[in-house]
Amino acid sequence: MTLALALSLLLGQEADKVQDLQAQLHAVVEKVSPAYVFFGNGSGVCISSDGYALTNFHVSGDRQGQRVRMPGGRQFLADIVGFDPLGDISLCKLRDAKDLPFCELGDSDALEMGQHVIAVGNPFLLGNGSWEPTITFGIVSALHRYMDNPGYFDAIQTDAQINPGNSGGPLITMDGKVVGINGRIDIKRFTNRVNTGIGYAIPSRQIQRYMEAFKRGGRVFEGFIEGIQIGECGDGRYDNVGEYGDGVFVSRVDAELPGGKAGFEPGDIIFEVEGYRISNANRFHGVVSNWPEGSTVHVKVRRKAEEKELKVFLGDPAKILERKRAMDATDLGFTVNAKMVVGPVAPGSAGAKAGLKPGDVLFRVNERRVGSWTEFRALLRPGAEMTLTVTRDGKDVELPLKVPRPKTDE
Amino acid sequence: MSLLLACLLAATGDDPFAATLAKLRQTAGKSVVAIEVERDSDPEGVTGSGAVAQHRDYYNRPKGPTSGLIYEAGGFILTSRFNVSGGIRKNGLKVTLWDGRQVVGELLGTDEQRDIALVRIAETELPVLPRADYGKLRQGTLVALLGRSPNPGQVTVNLGILSALNRMTKASVQTDAEMNYGNAGGPLITMSGELIGVACNIKPDRVWGQSGGVGFACKTAEIDGLLERLKKGERIEAPKQPFLGIRPGEGNPDVEGIQIVDVLKDSPAEKAGIKKEDVLVELAGVKLTDFESLKEAMEPHKIGEEVTLKVMRKGKDGWQEKAFTIKLEGMAEP
Repeated sequence: MTLALALSLLLGQEADKVQDLQAQLHAVVEKVSPAYVFFGNGSGVCISSDGYALTNFHVSGDRQGQRVRMPGGRQFLADIVGFDPLGDISLCKLRDAKDLPFCELGDSDALEMGQHVIAVGNPFLLGNGSWEPTITFGIVSALHRYMDNPGYFDAIQTDAQINPGNSGGPLITMDGKVVGINGRIDIKRFTNRVNTGIGYAIPSRQIQRYMEAFKRGGRVFEGFIEGIQIGECGDGRYDNVGEYGDGVFVSRVDAELPGGKAGFEPGDIIFEVEGYRISNANRFHGVVSNWPEGSTVHVKVRRKAEEKELKVFLGDPAKILERKRAMDATDLGFTVNAKMVVGPVAPGSAGAKAGLKPGDVLFRVNERRVGSWTEFRALLRPGAEMTLTVTRDGKDVELPLKVPRPKTDE
Repeated sequence: MSLLLACLLAATGDDPFAATLAKLRQTAGKSVVAIEVERDSDPEGVTGSGAVAQHRDYYNRPKGPTSGLIYEAGGFILTSRFNVSGGIRKNGLKVTLWDGRQVVGELLGTDEQRDIALVRIAETELPVLPRADYGKLRQGTLVALLGRSPNPGQVTVNLGILSALNRMTKASVQTDAEMNYGNAGGPLITMSGELIGVACNIKPDRVWGQSGGVGFACKTAEIDGLLERLKKGERIEAPKQPFLGIRPGEGNPDVEGIQIVDVLKDSPAEKAGIKKEDVLVELAGVKLTDFESLKEAMEPHKIGEEVTLKVMRKGKDGWQEKAFTIKLEGMAEP
């Protein structure tokens, strides 16, 4: 009798906890599932009611007007606004969207190992047709994972099962916030693309820091401290470089570049960036690349017995300007796909002024045949007037294109 | 009994699931059986082609028992069709019950598409699971998957949630409870021990593999609708759909279309000359953007028909368009 009582008490207590978790799971699924986006053969998540959505760059590429769906099958055309190929994130905008269900970005810095998370996705495209996404449940397995190519330099590791088709979909905490974008898995065998309980997500804090740059549009580059060379603390080939784990040490400084201008000196040991403890070179790279190029970050260094805080600009302003001019010079307001078909043409752009229309097939520039975008771009000279020949409705049409000049320095 | 309590106490700690799952093993576990099959031939137990063929130890049918479920008290056992496929020897299908008794089973009907099979044993008054109320099931509902493999004397339990309610033309639910070959045929149940469905469609030709967080259970309503036909021994074949034999990737940054990550061996795509890493851009004049657009483009075409497929292939001079004629063949899809 005592035995039965003890057993039932035990089961009663446990059952309450199971029911609590069950209630949480149902609530979070109900909240986030409608904000999921079926993005091509991958996934995405809507983050604002007017249709901003996140996905992986390896899912979206940078093409405009891709067909996407939301649960239930409602269709939209998605345009890529800003994208980061190295960090594998794209921000897109669903055309003519309003009052969409969406999920806010959460704080990935507040994550703890072992905490429950869910992933929403479309593994093996199982939801195609019924347009019901897949929900998987797991925990945060680890934080700050570092992997190269593409750059998952500060990834969240989860055992919530993610598979091919999940990429670009959200990793979500039990309060219904997006804390990461799932995009990478460790697979069972080299060619067998099935999850092993190891999946990686780009953290939401990194995405938030890139958001302004994404919204400005175009390609966004990772932050990087130009002009310093670093080494791993404790490297036996050097003297006075601390113990492994202390941080990274500065071995060389170029005075002309932002690293030099910020005041770094050879021998400095970098141990903190924007409040994040730096333990080794991977972590240093992981933290710095949490900000896009053009940001300014605070770096703490140990110099002999002193601690100093330095403010450093990420990227090289000269290179950024040079790149901007090059891009402006060829910013024609349109692109073509691999088959030379013209995509959307930006109103007021050089392409629009020339009279280009989406669907035109570009094949000749000034009597010279062109077969690729690269080949076409190589012929452009700032300020030049050129004749484009396109096929439109089966006829050849000649259009006068004036290539813009770079804008004057800001 | 005191031993049981001691085990429970030892197992629980702070884990809220330990006691609940232990109880499910004790109660619902009685309706779970082990199924062993002696075969003369086993064509379906061997993996087919493409990349998976390189991993036969992972994909081929392993030795040992699989799982099944007492579906009706009068001796009707349900399992996955794959578990009982192949050339079964005379008296070669054996069912082990919760009390350790092993009895000979007779294979009645099967359904290829839903991957279920009905087996009869000469027993009565067997324990049957109560049914789950489908009106209460939602995405995120906690579930347990029970099995009796590899040791028929021991019930296994895997925990997960319902990932989706309607998969495989609404015949199945999807779960992230890890599902291996040994689990197929076992019941997927709620935390109160009510039956949701029978684990199915974990077999060599399925891209989701084993224990990848993607598993399926054929719904009880679906099984009930087929039960009379299965009892009569009907072998229900899956309708065949025209297919190409490619596996799509998630995208390609350079070219809009369907990136191919694998071409199945002996498939229509391979015979036509399509290669891994090609990007499908057009089928019979219809532009392809994602896998869904391919499905739409395939719809008007029939098995045996020849269609033109355009792909972009990357060579030394960048992406080149190539056209292929492909003769559509039929395949049974889940």
